[in-house]
Amino acid sequence: MLGHAYEMLLVGAMIVLGILIIVSIVRSVLGPGISDRVIAVNMIGTIIIMLIAILSLYLDEGYLVDVCLIYAMISFLGVVVLCKVYTGVYLQRKNMKANLGAVEDNLRRQEESGVSETAAPQPETEKQPKEVR
Amino acid sequence: MVWEWIRFFVVAGLLLVGMFFEVLAVFGVQKFKKALNRMHAAAMGDTLGVLFIFLGLIVMRGLSMDSLKLFLVILFFWLASPVSGHMISRLEAMTNPNLGEIGVIRMGEEKENEAVGTETEGTAASGKETGESAVSEKDNAKSAPSEKESAKSADRKGGA
Repeated sequence: MLGHAYEMLLVGAMIVLGILIIVSIVRSVLGPGISDRVIAVNMIGTIIIMLIAILSLYLDEGYLVDVCLIYAMISFLGVVVLCKVYTGVYLQRKNMKANLGAVEDNLRRQEESGVSETAAPQPETEKQPKEVR
Repeated sequence: MVWEWIRFFVVAGLLLVGMFFEVLAVFGVQKFKKALNRMHAAAMGDTLGVLFIFLGLIVMRGLSMDSLKLFLVILFFWLASPVSGHMISRLEAMTNPNLGEIGVIRMGEEKENEAVGTETEGTAASGKETGESAVSEKDNAKSAPSEKESAKSADRKGGA
């Protein structure tokens, strides 16, 4: 009787969490900006971690809790990397004109001196990661 | 036997409360229109939903190594969720050119505003400025200069 009640409770919780995952996937597809998608994907990760933890007690398997812990760490790492990557993409796109200007400067300087100075635009591109942080 | 049933009802209550917070978080993410508001709703599911569901599972499991690991998952979430939220909010503040449409909280009267300090004043002024540029941007479709200016101010805000 008691075992049946626990089983009903856990299966009901897993069904509700599955429905929530589907709704979050819809938001991650529809989301207008990149931030909305990252938020929705982060929430999908959270719900999946809860699902794995509930599954570990439903199946009475201890190792699934370890999977849950590692999943949490990888999900956090994924969000951090996505944010860094899209910040870098945005800054690169915004500074594209400045970069082309730097290339023109470099070409003009090469025409003037006649010597190939390929290292000239390097500091211009090196400056971008400093602006990120 | 009675204590077992009491424990079952405690577990059921905790799981239902956690499920309620998670449903609320997903509903809030669907309902709100701005990414920062959506983040506000999602953070609730990351903290309270995780806390109550994992607390229910710990009570169900009893004292063992698995319950310690479940507690570690709660601890990790409470440490990592603010960090990821900060990263996402910085990405949003940096890349969204229409950020100024979000209302800036002003600290009551002008006197209190002066007492708070110059930094609050500066952010409020920049917020007003971006709001105006966003409104003008609404009027004449997509004018390039105002968009660039608001993007610059949003970038300055995000970088600060």
